[in-house]
Amino acid sequence: MSRDSMTSKVENGRVLIIERTFDAPQALLFKVYSDAEHLKHFWGPQGWEVPFCTVDFRPGGVWLYCMKCVDKNQGQYYGMEAWGKGIYKEIVAPKSISYVDYFADEKGNTNPDLPSTDILLEFVIQGNKTKLVTRAAYQNEEELKKVMEMGMMEGISQTWDRLDEHLANLKK
Amino acid sequence: MNQAMNALSVLGEPNRLAIVELLRDGELTVGEIAQRLEIRQPQASKHLKILTENEILEVKADANRRIYKLRPEPFQSLESWLKTFQKIMEERYDKLDDYLQVLQQKDKTKKSKK
Repeated sequence: MSRDSMTSKVENGRVLIIERTFDAPQALLFKVYSDAEHLKHFWGPQGWEVPFCTVDFRPGGVWLYCMKCVDKNQGQYYGMEAWGKGIYKEIVAPKSISYVDYFADEKGNTNPDLPSTDILLEFVIQGNKTKLVTRAAYQNEEELKKVMEMGMMEGISQTWDRLDEHLANLKK
Repeated sequence: MNQAMNALSVLGEPNRLAIVELLRDGELTVGEIAQRLEIRQPQASKHLKILTENEILEVKADANRRIYKLRPEPFQSLESWLKTFQKIMEERYDKLDDYLQVLQQKDKTKKSKK
């Protein structure tokens, strides 16, 4: 099966935009994003499972989830649990979902020391496929910095030598 | 890492981002930058000073002109930061891709039984 490629860019220094097209109708993509049983199947990154996920799918409703690292090869992360909480803002079925994403604990308490993120998911019809556009807006650069310093973006140091053509051109 | 964050915060200002985008096509003087962005020269100078201090640009003197160009380092660190974030999202989306195929396969099987 071939996959569509993902693109990402930063806008205005604090909005991260990620796009990816899926070979599925808009209604199905919207459905899997709005249902806890569906979300459990894909929400964790590689080697991470979602042992807990509840969704109260309405504006003001809460989505609470836990991601757990089950991959021994991930060393220090193995066994680690990461709890997250979303509070839905606006739901326009089957086109878009917006929510605020928080770091949380297993009781659903949000962590006041860590920044929240405004997330907008848009499901855009592209022929037989659907493009998912994720916009993650941080409050400001300071907030973004805090998220990064926590090591949420693991493996930060790897790709220094893998620069695209544009970067190579800059050096000339 | 800090360099990436620093670059993000400096480029949060629209005029500074516009300057960087102009310089992607080649080196320019302060006068040329002010003209193309339709801003006053002192304003352009102020932004160029901040961009240079934060090591996003470098400046070289050519006779009595000062010519600005991009430095690659801050863009490399931005790129590497984006890539790690991208990796996590990509893994999640790969799973979603597979899952959507499974769901649609089931759907087909159901329909063909009818």
